[in-house]
This record gives sequence, C-alpha cells and structure tokens, in this order.
Amino acid sequence: MVNPIYIIILSLAAGFLLSIFDKSGRKLSLIVFYSVLTFNVFVIADWFYRFTVLGVSTLTINTAGFSAPLSINLQLGIQEAFVLLFANLTGLLAAIYLIKKFKESNISSLVLYLILIMGVNGLVMTRDLFNMFVFLEILSISTFALTILTKNKKSLSAGFKYMIAGGVASTFFLLGVVFVYYFTGNLNLDFINPSDFTNYGLIAIFLLSIAVFIELKPFPANGWALDVYESVNSGITSVIAVVNSAAIIFVFYKIMPLLPQNLLNIFGIAGVVTFFFSNLMGLKQTNAKRLLGYSSIGQMGLLVASIIYTIHSPNKLIYLIVGGFFTNHLIAKAGLFWITGIVKKEKIKDWGILKENKFLLILFGLLLFALSGIPPFPGFWAKWEFIKLLVHGKMFFVVGGILLGSLFEIVFLFRWFTIAVKGEVPSENPKISFEFSKYFSTTIFVGITLTISVVIMKYFYDFNWFQFLPLIAVVVLYFLDFIPSKIKGFLSLIAVGIYGYFLYPFESNLQLFFGIIFIVGSAINIIATLNRKNINKGFYGFLLMMIFSFGNLLIAKSYLEFFLAWEFMTISSFVLILRGKKAQKASLLYIIFSTAGAYLMMIGFSLAPNLTSNSALIIAISNINLPILVTVLLAIGFMIKSGSLGVHIWLPEAHAEAESDVSPFISAILLKAGVFGLFMVGISYINHVPAFDMFYWIGWIGVLTAIVGAFLASFQEDAKRLLAYSSMSQVGYIVASIAILSHLGWLSALYLSFNHMMFKSALFIAIAGVYYRTHTRTMYEMGGLIKKMPLSFISVLIGIIAVSGVPPLSGFGAKWLIYSSFIERGWYLQAGVLFFASAVSFLYLYRLIHTIFLGQLKYEHQNVKEAPIWFLIPQVIFMVGIMAISMYPNLIIQPLNSIVGNYFNSSIIVDGYNITSSLGNWNGNMIMFVTMGIFVVPLIILVLLNGRTQTVKQFNIVYAAERPESPQTTHIAYNMFAHYRKALGGWGKPRIWNFWHETNEWAHSLSGLFRQIYTGNGQTYILHIILYIVVIYFIMGV
Amino acid sequence: MDIMIKILYAVISVIVATVYGLTLGGVVQKIYARVHGRFGPPVWQPFIDIIKTHGKRVSISHGIMFYLGPVFRFAGGLGTYLFIPVIYGSVVFANFSMAGDLLLVMYFIFFGQLGMALGAGEGGHPYSPLGIARGLSQMSTFELPFSLAVIAVAIQYDSLNITTIVAAQQGSILNWTLFTNPFAVIAAMISLLGMNMHSPFSLVLAPQEIPIGPPVEMNSSFLAILQTNRGLFTAAKLVLFMNLFFGGATNLLIMIVKTFFIYLVSVIVGAAFPRFRPEQSFRFFLKWPTIIGIISIIFIVYF
Repeated sequence: MVNPIYIIILSLAAGFLLSIFDKSGRKLSLIVFYSVLTFNVFVIADWFYRFTVLGVSTLTINTAGFSAPLSINLQLGIQEAFVLLFANLTGLLAAIYLIKKFKESNISSLVLYLILIMGVNGLVMTRDLFNMFVFLEILSISTFALTILTKNKKSLSAGFKYMIAGGVASTFFLLGVVFVYYFTGNLNLDFINPSDFTNYGLIAIFLLSIAVFIELKPFPANGWALDVYESVNSGITSVIAVVNSAAIIFVFYKIMPLLPQNLLNIFGIAGVVTFFFSNLMGLKQTNAKRLLGYSSIGQMGLLVASIIYTIHSPNKLIYLIVGGFFTNHLIAKAGLFWITGIVKKEKIKDWGILKENKFLLILFGLLLFALSGIPPFPGFWAKWEFIKLLVHGKMFFVVGGILLGSLFEIVFLFRWFTIAVKGEVPSENPKISFEFSKYFSTTIFVGITLTISVVIMKYFYDFNWFQFLPLIAVVVLYFLDFIPSKIKGFLSLIAVGIYGYFLYPFESNLQLFFGIIFIVGSAINIIATLNRKNINKGFYGFLLMMIFSFGNLLIAKSYLEFFLAWEFMTISSFVLILRGKKAQKASLLYIIFSTAGAYLMMIGFSLAPNLTSNSALIIAISNINLPILVTVLLAIGFMIKSGSLGVHIWLPEAHAEAESDVSPFISAILLKAGVFGLFMVGISYINHVPAFDMFYWIGWIGVLTAIVGAFLASFQEDAKRLLAYSSMSQVGYIVASIAILSHLGWLSALYLSFNHMMFKSALFIAIAGVYYRTHTRTMYEMGGLIKKMPLSFISVLIGIIAVSGVPPLSGFGAKWLIYSSFIERGWYLQAGVLFFASAVSFLYLYRLIHTIFLGQLKYEHQNVKEAPIWFLIPQVIFMVGIMAISMYPNLIIQPLNSIVGNYFNSSIIVDGYNITSSLGNWNGNMIMFVTMGIFVVPLIILVLLNGRTQTVKQFNIVYAAERPESPQTTHIAYNMFAHYRKALGGWGKPRIWNFWHETNEWAHSLSGLFRQIYTGNGQTYILHIILYIVVIYFIMGV
Repeated sequence: MDIMIKILYAVISVIVATVYGLTLGGVVQKIYARVHGRFGPPVWQPFIDIIKTHGKRVSISHGIMFYLGPVFRFAGGLGTYLFIPVIYGSVVFANFSMAGDLLLVMYFIFFGQLGMALGAGEGGHPYSPLGIARGLSQMSTFELPFSLAVIAVAIQYDSLNITTIVAAQQGSILNWTLFTNPFAVIAAMISLLGMNMHSPFSLVLAPQEIPIGPPVEMNSSFLAILQTNRGLFTAAKLVLFMNLFFGGATNLLIMIVKTFFIYLVSVIVGAAFPRFRPEQSFRFFLKWPTIIGIISIIFIVYF
C-alpha cells in the first residue's frame, strides 16, 4: 500500500532529475522514465483492487500538515482509481509505443511526458479548485511542448492554436475560481455549498464550468483540437486524445455537483450536438487521423451527455454506461491512433495496405468494431442501457441525435474498414514496417477491451455459454485457421449438428420450424462451401458465428439477448459479404441499412414493456402489449432485414457481390430472420390489437415489394442480382401474408418461407456452380449450357417451377394458400397485385434458365464441365425436399396447421391429401399424379410415333435465308424485356435508389458545409470559443 | 376400378374437346378468309395439317428439352382442360376438377407455356426467345385484369370452386356473371383477346416480324402435337370463360354454342384491328382493362 501522493512526487522528482541522469547515458534515463510510469500503474492498480475487491473506503490525503480547506487535499476513491488506472496505463503504453522517439529525441521530451502524467494524476485527485487550475496549466503547457516535438510546420501551428485555446479556457477557469472564492469564501470542492451560487453567483460557476467544457472540445468551438489530432505524432495524439481527455472529463465530473440543473441540461444537449455534428462532418473526411479526431470529439460529447443524463441512476448503471463509453472510446481511440502511426498512411484510401498484414488488420478491425459500438464491446452495452434510460426519460430528440450520429459514425468507420479489407494496395511504400513496441501497446489494448467485454457479458449480464457461442466460434476457428478449408468445413458441419442437438427441445413448434430453416437449412448449405480450396482464413469462423446467432435468436429470452444475437448475426453476415471480390460497396450498404434497422429496434425494445415470463421471447411476447410505436419501430427494423420495398437497396448488392456460396445463406436463411422478427411482432399484435391497423400497411408494403422485386429481377443482366431481386419479391409475399394476421395467411407465410429456403438455396448454389465453371455471372455471356451441365439445369428447372407456382410442384401450394388467404381476408386489390407479380415472375425465371442453359452455346464454353460434386449434393437434397412436399403436401401442411393453430383457429380442413379452405380446395397428391399421367402418356405416344427423330448440331437451325454467324449474335439474351421497359415508361425509373442516393449526397454536402467552419486559422478558432461561451451564456438565461 | 372409369371418362372428354377445338379453329379460319375476301381452307383443314405434319419424313430434335417442350405444352393443355368441370352435372365431363379449384386451372395454364418456352429455347433459333419474351410479357399484363375479374367472381360467389360458381349462375340467364357483374366480364373478355392471341395482340406468332416465333424450330410430330394442343387448349380456355361468366353449360350443345360465341368476340376484334407493337399491347392491358377490373371489384364489394 503506497500513498498515492508518491505518484505525483515521484513523477515530479524524476522529471527534474532526468536531465541529470541523462548525462550518464540515455539508457539510464529511459530506465528511470519507464520505471516511474510502471510504478504509477502498479500503485493505482493496487488501489483499484483494494477499492473494488476488498471494499476499502475512499482515501483522503491531506497535504502540508493541515486538513482541508486550509490546505489542499487529494482524494482517491473508486472513481479516481478507475480513471487514473486507465490514464496511467495508457500513458505507459503510449510511452512504450514512443520508445524509438524517446531514444532519439531531446531529454526534455521525457521530462515533459512525466510532467504531463503528473499533471493528469494531480488533476484527477485534487479537490481544490485553484490547485486544479495549476494542474490544468501544467497539463496544457507540457502537452503543447510535446506537440511541437514533431517539427513540421503543421504541428507547430496546431500546437500554437492548442496553446491559445488552452490559454483562453484557463483564463475563464481562473476567473471562475476567483468568483467562486468571492461568493463562497472557499475553494475546496468538499466545502463549497452549491446553494451559494444564486443570482450573480451563477456567473462564477458558469465561468468555471464553461472553461472545463471548452477543454472538452464542444462543437463548433473545437477546431484547435482537430488540427492537433491531425498533425501531431500518433503516440502523442493518443495521449492528448485519451489521457488528457480522461482527466478533463473527470474534472468536469467533479465540478458537476456545483452546477445548476439548467446548465447541466445545456451541457447535455451541447454534448449530443457535438456528437451529432462531429460524426456528420466525419463523413467527408479522408485523412485518417483527422477522421479519428472527429470521432474522438464526438465521443467526448457523448461521454459528457452520458454523465449528465445518468446522474440520477443507480451506481451500477452509471458504471456500465459512463464506464462503458469511457473505456470503449478511449481504448479504441488510443489503439486506432497507434495504428495510424504504424500504417503511416494519411489518406484512408491508401489503407488497402492493411490487408497485407493480417494481424494488424484484425487489431484494426476489433478496435473499429469497438468504436462503432458493436457487441460484445463495452460501447454496445453502454449504448443499449443509455438509450433505454433516455427513452424512459422521454428524451427522444437526444435519442435521435445520438443514434443518427452513431449511424454517421458507422458509415465512415465501416467505409474505412472496407477500404482496409478490400481497397487497393498503394504503390508507394507498399510495406508496413514492423516495430515491436508499437504492436505491443496496441495488442495490449485490444486484449483489455476484449477482457472488459467478456467481464461485462459474464458478470454484469450473467449470460450463459450459449450466448457466447457465436464469439467462441470465431475465436476457436481463428486458432484452427491453419487447417485446410475442407476439414474446417466438415468440422463446422459437425459443430452445427451438435449445436442443433443442444438447441433442439424448443418451447414451441414455431421455434422448431424456424430452427429447421435456420439450422438444417444452413447445414445443407455448408456442404456447398466444402468446394472451397486452400485455407480460406476466417470464413468458417464467421459462418458459424452467423449460424449460431440464428439459433440464438430463437431461444433469446429477453430483448437484450435477442438484440445481441441480432447484432452478432449482422456483423458476421457483414464480414461474410465483405469477403466477396467486389463487395466493398455492397457490404457497406448492408451494414448501414442493418445498423439503421438495429437502432430502430433498439428504441423499440427500450420502449417495450418488461417481459413477465421466463419463456423464449417469441412466446413471452404474446402476453406483452406492445405500444403502437414499438410495433412500428420493430417492424421497420425487421423489414429492413427482409429487404422490403423502400429499404431494399442493400439487398441486390449484398446478394450479388457476396461469394457465390455465401449468397444462399444470405438469401435463403438470413432474410428469414426478418420474417421471424415480424412473426414475433405479429404474435404480440394479435393478442393486443391496437386502434391503428398497422399491419394493413405492412401488407401493402409486402405486396408492392413483391411486384417491384419481380420487375427489377426481370431487368437484370446478372444472374445473382436477378435471384436477389427474386428473393426480395418472394419475401414480399411472405411479409404480406404475415400481415394478413389470419390462420391461412400465416400458414401461407410459413409454407412459403420453407419453400423459399429450399428453392432459393438450390438456385443460388446452381448459379454458384455455373459461375465456378464459366467465371461469369452475366447471363448473356452464357447460353446453351444444358448440354454441359444437365444436372444444374434440372436443379434450376425445378427451382424455377417451384418459384413460379406452376403445378404440380410445391410452389403452387404457396400460391393457392396466399390467394385464398388474401381473398378470404378481403384484401382483393392486394391479391390482384400479387397475381400480377406472380405473372411477372415468369419473365425473370424464364430469362434465368433460358439465357444460361438454353439457346446457343458459346465457343469458350465448349469444354465446360458439370458443377463440382459439392455443389450438386445440396442441390439434390433440396430437390428431393421440394419433390417430397409437392407430392405429399401433408408433410408440411399438417405441422404448419398445428403451429398456426396456436395463434388462430384453423380455417382449413385437411382430409387425406385434400386441403379445403372456405373458398376452394387443393389436392397436391392428386394433381401430381394427374400431371404425371398427362405428361407421360403423350410422351410415350411421341416416342412411339416418332422413332425417326435425329438430333442435330448447334446452328443447324431454320434461319431466314442467312447463315447464323456466331453464338453471340444468335443468342437472344441481352436486355430481353426491352419492350416491357419501354411500356413501363416513367414507372421504370429507379426512384428509390435515387432517393437514397440523394440522401447520401445531402448528408455529405451538409458534412462538407459544416466542415467549412474549420478554417485552420487560429484567430477564427478563438472567435468560435468566445462566441460559444457567449451563446451558452445567453441560452442559460442568467 | 373406380379410377379406371374416371380415366375412361377423361379420355372421352379430351377427345370431344380436341375435335371440337380443332373444328372451331377451322371454322374461324374460314371466317377470317371470308372477311379477307378469300375462299379459305376447308373446315377440317386443321385435322389435315396435323396428319400431314406428322407424316413428314424428317424429324429433327435439338436436345432433350426441345423434345419435351411440345409434350409439356400438350400436357399443359390436357391439364388445364382436365381440371375444369366442362359440363355442369355431367359425370363424364366432370374430369379431375375435384383435385383443385380455379387457382389450379389458372396456374396450370402456365405449365404448358413454360414447358414450351423451354423447349423452344433449346431450339436455339433467335426468333423463339423473341416470341417468348413478347409472350411472357403480354401474358403478365393480361393476367392482371383477368385475375381482378377472377377475384371479383370469387368475391361474388364466395368460392373459387368452378362447380360452385357455375351452380350459382343456374336458374335464369340473369344469374350469369355477365349480368350480375358486367365489369368483371368485360375485363376478362379483353384479357381473353390477349390469351387467344388474335390481332391486335398477335405478338407471339407474328408471322411478318418473327416468323411464327416460339415454334419456329418445331417440325413433324413436334409440330403436330402443338397443333393438336391448339385445339384442345382453345376449347379449355373457352370452357373456363363460359363457366365463370356465362352460366356454364348443362349439355354439350349449349357448351358448343356458348363457346363459339365467346370465341367469336376474339375473331371479330382480330379481323378488324391490325397488330399492336409489343409495348402498345402491354400498356393497353395495364390501362383500361385493369381499371375495369378494379371497378368490377369495387362494384361487387360495395354494390
């Protein structure tokens, strides 16, 4: 147990002595330097341990032999210890990071560094206002001196601006101190009575607090800080952004009890405004360090807001929210600044260099994910609880500002990430040099943030190992990554099997049904991935993560568990999509839309009443009366995931650009997660029907999705985009059927979900096989492949018949159920539109099969072989499945009837294979046999009568007095439905795409507009600060 | 044994319908010829054509799907016909209508079209996909007013069962859908113009532009099958329309009279108008008949 005052004393003493030590060599001074820093960390760590684990009470240290307020006193409690531990640790790691610099530079930099750390320690511990001022000055001066260590013009000017801004702030602080003393006769925080600051007294507290607030870099008075972040050495920047910020935010926290509520409210709003605008302006930023600067400033605003808004909450919650934001932001920020120093690329477009260095890329990714508030990182939990708190306080504007700001942050951070993974390696300096010290610090911080994440999950939320499973999958497979891909594939298959076994006893059959789609469907689709060669680093880890998250969705017992699984699903699918060759834009679009949806869901879940039973969410929610706003928010969130019209634009990109064996997962299974969610909303809705019939409108959206999707699919040239739009259209049918909220409607939705899972998997895998052989997805470049890939052809044939709804295959059952349910419900026009959509679907289905498999074979495909066996196996399984439920529809109708029977009274009579609704009947088995009969009889007659048939070669066709020249000019494939497009006229314009494009443009333009306030001129910056203070003063309305 | 009788009846039913359909085709050719001021082929010309094409010495196939295309087409015609109860109250002409309802018939129409399209596609002739693209597009557009009319009928009779729909129209001529919901009938009849592909909607076979379109590569027995199907399929469609909108038929004679007049609508329009361009045709169907179809639903729901 070392008295914490020694931290200050030792730093100070060593600081002054260092220049003497340096006389006997830099080695000695470095040893002393690092020993002091390490000593600090250990002392504080020891205290932190005492406070948290042993429960030691807060320590007060008096100085100069007198007790406060006569002398200055220091205080070390759990909060101080936490902040100091953090600051000192960062200080130490940053120093290690800078070791090379410290070896070379003047001894004064070491001295300054120690003084800076001393200032931080003092600032956090002291309870005396004037003493605070002193430490603030020490901090500013040492920081300034360190910034100009990097001797270039930019950093000199940035340092100067920093100095001036700091000086202005200090002046106000000092004035505040004077006034505080004048009004209260005291400068010790423990003895100042906040009620003394009435009337004119407010000026004292205003000056004091605004000075500290300016140091926290509020928008727009923060240009000086941005310039520093951009131009100073990364190691020093990390200290400024993290260590200094931590100390100053704690100062703010210390003087908060003195502030009147209205001033706190203003600061809270100012924090949110800062967060929002910083992230907005980050959108246009291309300089890596300045981007981090924007993010950093934004996060500080969020931190301030979180401190202010959580002030009346229970301690545990404050620790989670404020502590979560604090550690998350500062660790991630320090780590990312360090990485910028390792990568040494100013422009983020050059960051493609990272993909050459997998380890660094992983560090970068983890820190970036942490910064974006993605689970399991602390920021996620903090955001979840914070939003919940704000929503309960009905502070919707604050919620909106924070979430919109977060979305902007996601945009620029993930854009950066996708560049790092997919961008081009720059031609200049294409290598990242290795420096152990730099990697060391960064790695330690990544380790710490991961540890904190696990601690939160394990001890705060008490999650069981099932919820950890998606993460465990990634970690385990990371260590197994050296194994060949095939073996990993088999292992994954086994893992999914075991997972399914543990998951199996479900509480309800609806879960079981989705369990089959999610788990069994995924397992079959994994077979197609076994075709992969080589190692495929990271693929199976994220694949398993996604599959396990699907399963966890089913058994989630609380909103948080559900949301956690949802986020895991999103992030894993994002990484999988990003693996595609040209998936940079597609994956970015996907994560932006998914995150927007997730935020809406977050608000929705926060508003939802507490669960009353301990069952899985999908069951428990039936007793919950969700307010209409919640229903709307959740529904939008789920509909984004299922690609409904208006928010569908991510869908074709993501499906098409993902690797071809990933697309079946995205289309056939991932979209069903949205469907599952909509069912969940529906289950609550039918038990508590509100006045506003929201599902009526969802029904219309579903119907329009179906028709628009079908048209868009018809106009594609890319096979995978075609299938993607087809998925959109089919899921539109499902959404519309759910919205009917009747027995027959839900039966249709479930039937179609299952059917869609099978035929869309089969189709995507078939196209994967074609792509594997022909290396193209553009349909008009193919043709005539039926002769080369007959099995794939049959698979596509069965697939398209099942999609189209032509009897006798299972698709007809879906169509019959859907139209019956719509007419029964009285949704006549909707049914008409669906008929239309169904007819339009023939266009794209024919186009798919014709342009690839029929028509003229291209010369370059003369030697194409059938798809590999790994692609054929799952296709055969799905084909057998489709044929089975076509022939024996009872196999699926009976169980579905009983599942939906839990929610509605059954409206169909199942008699043998005959299914009768209130409108008509359908006997799938009989249709199958009649069809077989009427097909086989003419076939036999034809074969018997037409024995003379001879097969001719390609091009041996009746051609109008001309000789067909080449397959390219003979194969009708390109722009096949040009006349239809012409007929549609203005209806064919991509309005929704344009809308989102414009939104994007506007956001970036606004970003560019606001950015212009940062002129780079120090005088302007000071003007900002002064104006800011004046404006806040007026808003306060003293 | 029961099933054997059923099949026997079905065979009789199909033969009757095919013969009728082919004869009807011959009659219509004659009518067209007279309108054009020609003498025209004999009424039994379609039968002669079938025998003649089948008797060709050379038969050429382009592959398995090509071979199966006409079979699909014929099976589609057969199925469409066999899932419709042709004559109200008749056991012989009830066919296999108990297997499903109106929706089944509507979707079975696609069975033949899709199969034929695939077969023609493998033929490799550029006119085939051109014709198919036109056909599919046009089909999607006339399907919209037709489905609206069908929905109106389903609302009106609260059923999708064709026998029930026919039963509800018995008793008086005023019980026909034609008089109880004329809008639905108008919408559906305009759609029928498209289905029958007479002028101005003869985009698919359009001899002057894409010489006979999809079946261009079809020859000998393949073509013979298609020609046979043309008779059967026409009969099936007409019977369906008769059942839905014109009170059905209680005996063969009434069926022949009614279907003849239903067909005559297409023939009159076909003889009077020149062909549309594809986009004109599509737009036409998506405009007026669709609006009439929507009116028919509003009419039946609110009046």
